[in-house]
Amino acid sequence: MKPKPLFLLVLLASVAGLRAADAPVTDGFHFVKTVGAISEYTLDANGLQVLLLPDHSAPVITFMVTYRVGSRNEVTGTTGATHLLEHLMFKGSVHFNKEQGNKVDQVLDPIGATNNATTWVDRTNYYETFGSEHLPVIVELEADRMRGLLLRESDRRPEMTVVRNEFERGENSPFQALMKEIMSAAYVAHPYHHSTIGWRSDIEKVSIEKLREFYDTFYWPDNATVTVVGDFQPAAALDLIRKYYAPIPRAPKPIPTLYTEEPEQTGPRHVVVKRAGRLGVVGIGHKIPAATHPDAPAVTVLSLILTDGKNSRLYQALTDQSLSTGVSGFPFPTHDPSLHFTFIPLAPGATHEQVEKIAVEQIERLKRDGVTAAEVQAAVAKYLADSAFQRDGTYAIADNLNTDIAVGDWTLFYRLDDAIKQVTPADVQRVAQKYFNVDQSTTGWFVPIAAAQPAAPAKK
Amino acid sequence: MKRTSFLLLSACALILAVANATAAVAPNVVRATIAGIDVLIYRTGVRDVVTLKGNLPAGDAHAAGGNIAVATLCGHLLDQGTTKHSKFEIAEQLDRVGATISFGVGPQALEIEAKHAKYYGPAHGTLVLVGDVDAGVIQTQVASAFAGWTGGADYLHPARSTGTDAPREQTVFMADKTSVSVTLGQASGLRYGDPGYVALRVASSILGSDFTSRLVATVRDTEGLTYGIGARLADDDFTDGDWKVTATFAPNLLNQGVASTMKQLKGWYDQGVTADELAKRKTNLSGHYKVALATTDGMATTLLACVNRGVGPGWIDQYPAKLDALTLEEVNGAIRQHLNPDHMFLIKAGTVPGGVDLSILGNIYQSGGVSGVTKTGAGTLTLGYVQLSNTVTIAGGTLAADFSQLVPPAKMDALNLTA
Repeated sequence: MKPKPLFLLVLLASVAGLRAADAPVTDGFHFVKTVGAISEYTLDANGLQVLLLPDHSAPVITFMVTYRVGSRNEVTGTTGATHLLEHLMFKGSVHFNKEQGNKVDQVLDPIGATNNATTWVDRTNYYETFGSEHLPVIVELEADRMRGLLLRESDRRPEMTVVRNEFERGENSPFQALMKEIMSAAYVAHPYHHSTIGWRSDIEKVSIEKLREFYDTFYWPDNATVTVVGDFQPAAALDLIRKYYAPIPRAPKPIPTLYTEEPEQTGPRHVVVKRAGRLGVVGIGHKIPAATHPDAPAVTVLSLILTDGKNSRLYQALTDQSLSTGVSGFPFPTHDPSLHFTFIPLAPGATHEQVEKIAVEQIERLKRDGVTAAEVQAAVAKYLADSAFQRDGTYAIADNLNTDIAVGDWTLFYRLDDAIKQVTPADVQRVAQKYFNVDQSTTGWFVPIAAAQPAAPAKK
Repeated sequence: MKRTSFLLLSACALILAVANATAAVAPNVVRATIAGIDVLIYRTGVRDVVTLKGNLPAGDAHAAGGNIAVATLCGHLLDQGTTKHSKFEIAEQLDRVGATISFGVGPQALEIEAKHAKYYGPAHGTLVLVGDVDAGVIQTQVASAFAGWTGGADYLHPARSTGTDAPREQTVFMADKTSVSVTLGQASGLRYGDPGYVALRVASSILGSDFTSRLVATVRDTEGLTYGIGARLADDDFTDGDWKVTATFAPNLLNQGVASTMKQLKGWYDQGVTADELAKRKTNLSGHYKVALATTDGMATTLLACVNRGVGPGWIDQYPAKLDALTLEEVNGAIRQHLNPDHMFLIKAGTVPGGVDLSILGNIYQSGGVSGVTKTGAGTLTLGYVQLSNTVTIAGGTLAADFSQLVPPAKMDALNLTA
């Protein structure tokens, strides 16, 4: 669709921010652009994307590798494989392994590097935050496991049960269980249908060969972004990245693209999760566009007006009327068309029907009467403040960039703040009318039930 | 010990600064008593972001026989309106600058109206501001904002804790849970800053923090029994604290997981840690410390903790040297001096195999946060810290026990079921 004029202005402002002259000239890299304080390069040898954000306010660095592979790249039988593979990335690579006494954690723990990895629908990322003098070994280690992973069956076996316990911990939460059911009902064709942790049977049974196939399909430099944030000199960092990553070849075959699109939803969907518990929950998922869509900023403002803080519409209509213990809402920032979630935990005595009806009425009222300029101003102020705090330190910055890389445009890191400032009350009403419709919604109820009667004690 | 705490965040756009190399922290902390409040201000290289944290002695430990829910309720009411502003006006003012505010309450309390005045005052209150701040301007603003505010109470100073003399086991049965949460621990008898504290902290970290620690490397990484396991000292800012191992296990791997955990604990206790483990852990903890202090949130949290713990901001600069000076004898001595695996409590919560759901009994009086029941044999139940009001029906049989009295965990009684 045609972008809004205001959004175009923001786009132009960002382009005007390019400062090619400031970029270090480094052999082996192609300078792409600078937006804000971040410069983008491509490694000539293999197409690896590199983002550098020097910040010397503290003597630490966050180094992150984002692979553009997530649970959206899985199919029946391999659900959860991206995540299981992420775990196996810590089990040893050609030059860093337990046998040599330098497995990932044996290198990172003694230097006190905070490190971890996460898997989500659109991406998998590996990161370390550490004293800035340790950058060389970190780059070497990450480069080694990009193509040199050992991936042994003897590693998969104990790690499968670790991941299964992670799945079980998630299932302990009625809220998480409800969210999974809403996603599964909202997406029929698109792989956002299944959760990132995967189905239990797939976690248990996926073979090491399948995982190897996954690794050999997606773990290549031209499907990855290296991000460095913190106390480093750009030229020196680029030298290190070239030294360790340039020997890795490009993917031998094109990285497969996902072509499945979710068909249009033509009626409301409803799911119910019944388990032992105390209080009920109503969750509503509305179909919204991808995070890079020009309507995404207005949807974010709409979400804040509906659900954030004591002056939000649903807080006043539900929580302040003692019908819910709170309200929360958020758009999922994803690569493909997404969902906006609204969750309403019920206060004792309130019914699911009653709370859902009031929530829908409030949304319809907003669509009919619009929102005030004051509501938009407050939402924008809250968003911008939160955005600043989401960038408190090198890790937080890298984490935010990770999402932007995953949805397909890292410059959203700056552009989204600018675009949010341009949202008007009319924009909010328009996107509410366009996306927050009952016929494109999936509602889930968590219904607590009294625990089942336990079996009589076994007679021995 | 937890406390009433508040967190106020205020910011506009983020512009990254290029300044401020590493230097000692404490000499650059501007500290003064303003309007009766202990105010600490620390400027960092970040631009346009300030983290404000503080606390008052008004948690539920101050209940003194009263209703322990009152402190929490009072804390939650802090942004629900004042004599000058309604809750919606407060929310609107915070919205205007994009600030967020949150309150938490721990064991230090009061009856809502009557006690509010007594505990919510500047005395013994602390305020920490870190980030892009001008100390002079902040001091003036705090003086003006809190002028005329009086009252407040001192923190409680409870007696030193006494140790335990026997192991205990509790099962908290919860239906429909796919993972069991386990805590194994004891009172540490230590407050932060006590002699031996840092030594035991390092020893505990070797047992159960990060992937190279003994528990994670074996119970998780080699044996695959859990997603999460760790060991740590906790709850010791204001009072003697506790030491615990926490872990999660699938119900069918629970016994194996607990056994493997116990084996690691015993080995660590009996043989101590090695010189190599100690050397690596020292650099590990120094490195983590450096990373933690690199955000306004991390620095504010640490400064407030230093005040709460009574060690002062100087601790931030002294800590790496204290770590470095530790000897193997001190670290292994601290394990033996303060802990005893034979006297630890083992708590399991979840759909524990063989456990029975007590919630069907109704009228259960929970005390001390734990209650539960485990089946110890055919037709026999062992009840924990529970009080039952009447004769109850369980699993089709009748439990004809008189449980009008509280059953202390030290005297877990076996009950016969007439099934």
